[in-house]
Amino acid sequence: MLEIKNYSKSYSEGKKAADNVTLTVESGDIYGFIGHNGAGKSTTIRAVVGVLDFTEGEIFIDGHSVKTEPIECKKITAYIPDNPDLYENLTGIQYLNFVADVFEISAKDREERIKKYADIFEITDSLGDLISSYSHGMKQKVAIISALIHNPKLLVLDEPFVGLDPKATFTLKEIMHDMCKQGTAIFFSTHVLDVAEKLCNKIAIIKQGKIITSGTIEELTNGQSLEEAFLEVYDEK
Amino acid sequence: MKNSLLLKTMLLSTSLRNIYKHTTDKKKRRKIIASYIGIICLYAMIVGYSFSMCVGYGMIGLIDAVPGICAIGVSTLAFIFTFFRTNGYLFNFKEYDMLMALPFEAGTVAGCKFLYMYIKSLPWYLSLSFAMLMGYGIYAHPPFVVYIIWVVLSFVLPLIPMLISVFFGFIIAKISSRFKKNNAIQTILTFMFIIFCFSFRYIVDALFKNGKVEETLEKIDEMNEKVGNVYLPVGWFVNAIKKQGISDILLLIGVSVILFSIVFNIVGKSYRRINSALTSHVVRRDYKMTKQKKNSVVNAIAFKEFRRLTGSTVYMTNAAMGEVLAFLLGVVTLVIGFDKIVKMVTQDAPFDSSILQPAIPFIIYFFIGMVATTVCSPSLEGKNYWIIQSLPIPKKKIYQGKMLFNMYLTVPFMLFAIICMSISAKVPVINMILYMILGVALCAFSTAWGCMCGIKFMRLDWENEVEVIKQSAGVALYMFPNMFVVMGLVVLVVFLGTFIDHKVIALVFIMITSVLAGLCYYIVMLLSKDRA
Repeated sequence: MLEIKNYSKSYSEGKKAADNVTLTVESGDIYGFIGHNGAGKSTTIRAVVGVLDFTEGEIFIDGHSVKTEPIECKKITAYIPDNPDLYENLTGIQYLNFVADVFEISAKDREERIKKYADIFEITDSLGDLISSYSHGMKQKVAIISALIHNPKLLVLDEPFVGLDPKATFTLKEIMHDMCKQGTAIFFSTHVLDVAEKLCNKIAIIKQGKIITSGTIEELTNGQSLEEAFLEVYDEK
Repeated sequence: MKNSLLLKTMLLSTSLRNIYKHTTDKKKRRKIIASYIGIICLYAMIVGYSFSMCVGYGMIGLIDAVPGICAIGVSTLAFIFTFFRTNGYLFNFKEYDMLMALPFEAGTVAGCKFLYMYIKSLPWYLSLSFAMLMGYGIYAHPPFVVYIIWVVLSFVLPLIPMLISVFFGFIIAKISSRFKKNNAIQTILTFMFIIFCFSFRYIVDALFKNGKVEETLEKIDEMNEKVGNVYLPVGWFVNAIKKQGISDILLLIGVSVILFSIVFNIVGKSYRRINSALTSHVVRRDYKMTKQKKNSVVNAIAFKEFRRLTGSTVYMTNAAMGEVLAFLLGVVTLVIGFDKIVKMVTQDAPFDSSILQPAIPFIIYFFIGMVATTVCSPSLEGKNYWIIQSLPIPKKKIYQGKMLFNMYLTVPFMLFAIICMSISAKVPVINMILYMILGVALCAFSTAWGCMCGIKFMRLDWENEVEVIKQSAGVALYMFPNMFVVMGLVVLVVFLGTFIDHKVIALVFIMITSVLAGLCYYIVMLLSKDRA
C-alpha cells in the first residue's frame, strides 16, 4: 500500500533531514516509525502525505506516485498531524462536514460515521461548539474523526496518542486494529515504545534521517522488550 | 466545485458572524459587536474622505478626473494591501499541512487563498469606488448605464493589481526559498520591493517630465491619462466610464480572468516546493553553553518582542516599514536636499519650502507612526499567551516591556530622520532640538495609543498572523485616525507657521502630545489591571 523508495530530503545547504529512507507498508500492517525528537519522522510522514516537497527518491501509495499523482494518493490517504491546526473558528461539525464534502461523502454515510466515531470518542455534545474552545485532546479527536470519515486505505498518524485521554487512547488503538483487519494500512510515528510494541506488527527505527533497522516486531526484539532492543540498536549505530 | 467549497470554508472559518453565532462567551460577543462598529466607522471614514474629495474636484470643475483617480486609488490600494498579505496568506500559512493533505491541487489552494484575500478586502475597495461614484454622479450627471458599468467594474478593478502583487510576492518567496535564511532574505527582498514601489512614482515622473514640464493640479486629468498609458487597466476603466466603450469593459474583465489563470498556473507549479522550503527549518545542533547575561524583566520582554518582530516577514515588513522609509527619507533629504525633495513631492508647486519646517516631525511620524508594534503584539501572543499569563510578574510590566520595545524601535529612526531633514532644511539648532523632543513625544504617543488599541481589541484565536497585523480592528482603529489626523496636523502646522514662531508651535505640540501620550499610558495601566 505504501512504498517509500530511497527517499531523501535535503535542505538548501545540503543537510539531510531524511537520508535514503526505504520501507514498505502492506495492507493490514500497523507500521510503527520510531526515533528520537528531530530524527526525521515527521519529515518523512509529511512527504508521504504530500505536504512536503522532495527531490530524491519516490513514494508510492497504492501504486500512485506522490510526486506525479498527488490527488490520487490523497484521495485514499488520511493524515493526522501531531498538533492538528484545524480551522479554529469553525464548529466541530462544520469542520467535519467540510472534510466530508472534500471527499464527496454522501449525507447518509457522513451522518453515520460522524455519529459513530463522535459517540465512541464522547464528543458528540461538543460538535456544535467552536473548535477554538476545544482542549488539545478534543481537537485531536476531531482530527481523528475527520481522518476516518472517508474510510482511507492508508492511515498516516504523527504521534497520535499525544494529548489523548486514556480512554480515547484505548479507543484509537481499537479503531486501528479494526481498520487493520479490514485491510487498511497504518503508518504512524510514536515515542511510546510500549504502545508500538503492543500495537504494531512492523517497526522501523530512524536515527539522524537514516533507517537504522526495520522489520517485524519479532525480528527486532528477539525475545527482549522493544525498549531494550531500541536502546541497543540506537546506541550501537 | 471543490474551489467553492474550500473558499466557502476559508471565509466561514474567519467569519465573525460564525464565531458570534456559536460562541457562548459573552465577552467575545461584545468584542465582535465592537469590531463590527469599528469596521463600519472605518468604512464610513473612507466613504466620507473619498466623497468629499470628489466634491472638491467637482467644485473646481475637475470632475472628469474622478474616474481616473478612482481607478488609480483602488489599484494602488489593492496592490499594497495584497503585497503585504501575500506572505502569510499564500505562503507560510498555519493550516498548510491540513489543507495540502486533503485532495486539492496546489493551484486550487493557492487560487482559493487569493480569492479569499480578494473577497476580504473588497469592501475597502468598494467603499472608495462607490463613494466616488456618488460624487461623480452628482457633478457629472452621467447616463444610467455609467452607474452599472462603474459598479460592475468596481468588482473587477482590484483583480489585476492584486494578481501583479501576488506574482511579485511569489517571485520573492521563490527566491527566498532557495536560501538557508529564507525568512531574512524574504524580509529584505520585500523591503527592497516596497521601497522600489514607493520611488516608482518619482521615477515615472522623472521619465515623463525630463525636467521640463510643470505638473500642477489643473493638469491632473492629463496625469491620469499618462498613468492610463503606463498602467492600461486605469485607461480601460476611464474609457469604459467616459465613452461607455464595450471593448474596454471586455478588456478589463477578460485580462483579469486570463491573468488569474496564468498567475495561478505558474504559482501552482512551485507552490508545494516553496511552502516546503519556507516551513522547514534546519537544526544546527552545534550550540555550546556560553556565559549567559541577566536582563531586567522589562528589557527581557522587550527583547522577546524584538525576536518576535524579526522572526516574521509579515510582521517585520508591516511594522518596521515606516522606520525604514523614515531612514531613507532622512538619507535622501540629506543627499538631495530638502528643497528638491519638496519640489519633487509637490510637483514643482511654486511655494517656499521653508514653510514646511514645522511639519518635519509630523511628516516623519506619518511613516514611523503608521503601525506600532504595541497594537499587534498583545494579539500576536496567540496560543503562547499562557506563557506571559503564567509569569510571576505584575501585569503592567508585560505591557511596559512591549511599549519599551516600540520606543527602542521608533525613537532612533525618528531622531535620525529629524536630524537629517533639519540639517538639510537649515533649521536653527534650537528648533531642531524642539523637533527632536516633539518626535520622541510622538513616538511615546504612538506606543501608548497603539498598546491601548492592542489591549482593547486583543484577539488571540487567529488563524493567520496577517489577521492580526493587517486586518484586526485594533490596527484599523489605531492606524486610520492616526494617519488622517497627522495629515491634518501637517496642514495645520504649516498654516500656523506662517504667522506664529515655529518654536512656539513645536512647544505647544510637545505639550499636547505628551499629555495625550500620558493619558494613553494611564489607560494602558488601567487596562492591564484585569488582563495579563
